[in-house]
Amino acid sequence: MALKLKRRSLLQMIAASATAAAGASARLGRALAADDAAAMGWPSDVPSWDPNQRFAPDAQPIFKALFDQPLDQDPQLKLVPHLIKNWNLAQDGLTMEVELRDDVLFHNGDKLTAEDFRYTFFERTKGAVKLDTANSWQKVQDIVIESPTRATMKFSAPHPTAPQWMAFLGSYVVPKAYLERVGVEAFRQKPIGTGPYRLAEYELNSRIVLERNDRYWGEKPRLARVTVQIIKDPSARVAAIQSGQVDCTVNVPVREVMRFAKEPGFAAELNPITRVILLQVRNDLAFADQNVRLAAHHAIDKDALSKAFYGGAAVSLSVVATPGTPGYLPDFQFKYDPELAKQYLAKSNYGPDKPVKIGFAATNGQFPSDYDIARALVQMWKKVGIDASLEVIEYAKYFELNRGARLPEATLYSWDNASGDPEIFAGYLLNPKMPFSAWKGMDVGDKLLPLFNLADYDKRMQGYRELNRFAVETGASIPLLQSVLTLVRKNNLAYTKYANGWVLPQSMHWS
Amino acid sequence: MLPTVLSLLGRRLIAAIPILLLVSALLFCVLRVLPVDPAAMSLPPSATIAEIEAQRREMGLDRPLALQYLIWLQRALHGEFGRSIHYRRDAGALVAETLPATLELALTAMAIAGTLGLCGGLFLFRLRGTPFETLGDLSSMLLLSIPEFLWGLILLFLFGVVLPLLPFTGRLSPSFMRPNITGFLLLDTLLVWRPDMFWDALTHMALPAVALGLAFSPMIMRVLRSSLFDVYVEDFIAQARLRGISEMRILLAHALKNAALPTLTLAGVQFGFLFGGTLLVEIIYSYPGLGNLMVDAVRNADLPIIQTAGLAYCVAVLLINTAVDSLYLVLNPKLRER
Repeated sequence: MALKLKRRSLLQMIAASATAAAGASARLGRALAADDAAAMGWPSDVPSWDPNQRFAPDAQPIFKALFDQPLDQDPQLKLVPHLIKNWNLAQDGLTMEVELRDDVLFHNGDKLTAEDFRYTFFERTKGAVKLDTANSWQKVQDIVIESPTRATMKFSAPHPTAPQWMAFLGSYVVPKAYLERVGVEAFRQKPIGTGPYRLAEYELNSRIVLERNDRYWGEKPRLARVTVQIIKDPSARVAAIQSGQVDCTVNVPVREVMRFAKEPGFAAELNPITRVILLQVRNDLAFADQNVRLAAHHAIDKDALSKAFYGGAAVSLSVVATPGTPGYLPDFQFKYDPELAKQYLAKSNYGPDKPVKIGFAATNGQFPSDYDIARALVQMWKKVGIDASLEVIEYAKYFELNRGARLPEATLYSWDNASGDPEIFAGYLLNPKMPFSAWKGMDVGDKLLPLFNLADYDKRMQGYRELNRFAVETGASIPLLQSVLTLVRKNNLAYTKYANGWVLPQSMHWS
Repeated sequence: MLPTVLSLLGRRLIAAIPILLLVSALLFCVLRVLPVDPAAMSLPPSATIAEIEAQRREMGLDRPLALQYLIWLQRALHGEFGRSIHYRRDAGALVAETLPATLELALTAMAIAGTLGLCGGLFLFRLRGTPFETLGDLSSMLLLSIPEFLWGLILLFLFGVVLPLLPFTGRLSPSFMRPNITGFLLLDTLLVWRPDMFWDALTHMALPAVALGLAFSPMIMRVLRSSLFDVYVEDFIAQARLRGISEMRILLAHALKNAALPTLTLAGVQFGFLFGGTLLVEIIYSYPGLGNLMVDAVRNADLPIIQTAGLAYCVAVLLINTAVDSLYLVLNPKLRER
């Protein structure tokens, strides 16, 4: 009898648990299946809800849901008006006139004016709170307000990329009155922007709940509620989309994209974006010899790398710029030619029988397939007579090693540039005065640094194209591939695809 | 009994001071000699080398290590643990914000591990002398060899993907707004009296807590069984049998009470490991606790957070061990007399 009772109790417990679990599952399903809601599985959290504070490329789509930038980029990355209706950068690059929209409200109902613009790009950047935008807007000497919708930015030196930076990292307009009233800490707790969504709930490293801003000045989002689940582990993101706990996710392994592409109900994409994978090279040690650098470059079969690690979707690059951006050179090809690589090495008395030894560093897990690419490169180099000793480094270690001139001859690196502007590609990556460049030779620096002050857009672009070619032909730069954004979504969840990889909640809708 | 427990707590508190000083000094030194540049990580990509050098000076990274530590210690004694490089927020506040989630998870997991360990240990002991003893032994060995992150992945796959019965991301479903009172979500949902939300939070915690519990229960199981073997050769067991007491009663009312003490000590030690084990499980289940914060901090070379979180782990383990030792005193009268 006792046994029977126990069995019955057990069965009751199982039934109760199953019912409860089914209920929970159904509730979850209802929440996500609603026509006006969606959940995204996102790989990282925002560093802070003060959008001016930290530059975080992965956080930009979330910031763009809450806040607006003065200018925006269309899906092909062309600058388009946004909070600013018109702008005019002076020929000398020392001033920029802007005209703001007059129909923009912050989430608390305050109207956006030129005061907010001045506060964001001048007063805050010179204030006590440390902001990353203080660096990008350090040339701003003043912003003269001419009317509630008109202002003129004055720069201490030519700022040719001011319009590009108006649509780039951290340049989001924040409310002056609210921030001054509540202070920066309270603002971070309860951020207010002018964007298409407002922040309904936030839990650090867990989730961000966005609710539609019904008073948005622009096109209203189709989804009333978007939940961003922070899921840092790629396998967990795969499981989350597979099980229906999220409707869309990014940065999943390439092999999973291939698998999802065959599964009904899902759409899986490998989207080339404005992110480059390259080798940052030194101009000394064994790489002081240009023949060795050029041999190392000619020995790399980039198409094979793309096929092996990115399903062929990653475009092979010959310059440090992605196709479609102004610094790209569509007619310039740096060919894969192992025989030519051997000839270069032979000129310096090296070859497969007498290999030149180099050091090579790579991250493991910083971007998809990074370590696998590094191992493949070691094998490609070995065939022509370059013996590379591979070491794994943390991304954070790169700066310290570079600062102390302790990086090896080559380092596998990835660089994101949502703006597409060549200044933020070659201008940063090869600039000997910046912490990213392993190349310290002033041959490149002398060509590059004047471009930072060149206001004429066409001349500046021409300058960067020439620089890109020069850097590759002299072996100062070894670009490899245009990186891809992996994305899996339910196939009835549509979104607008941007060339820089933005997946904007406001562009999503169920079809 | 109370004076004995209070005396123990006092002694532990005094002993904790040098331990914490040592741990903090070790953490500080190890983190400072790592080849990462916190100054570069704390500045935007457009910063020049000169600006990074200025930042290093401002952060005091150019001063002697001992001086850096003393400055840090002085501030820490005033509750200032430094500012997170990545979040640009007070590291202490960030750790305090995430600690309740981890504690809640670890305590739930420990309850699961304790229950499984107790039931499993008794079951294994009951199998002694039967043909299934070896099978039970092998099964417990197999369980022992599976680490918590592997359990995490297995359970996620089975109950999250194949049989999508349980959620496995975060702490709450999107349809619920989280109440934020104490940071302990289960408690908060009860404080606002939302049983539906309590159940939802519980389902979210189920998989990570079971993964941790499963990983840490086999050791408890095996130690309990082994302790029971030792206890069963004692005279009082034979006397109990002679008095005609049933085997089940001897096991549960007499032997278990005595065998529980070494198991309790082990559980205390296990909790320390379990608390550390939350790190990977939190990442797998996107659970917003201290482990999650710690992994981000390591990735971003966020030294103030690593330092503060490391100390928080140390304090939590010291507290739990003290609690276990106090419990030991309560349960073992012989120790009280000494």
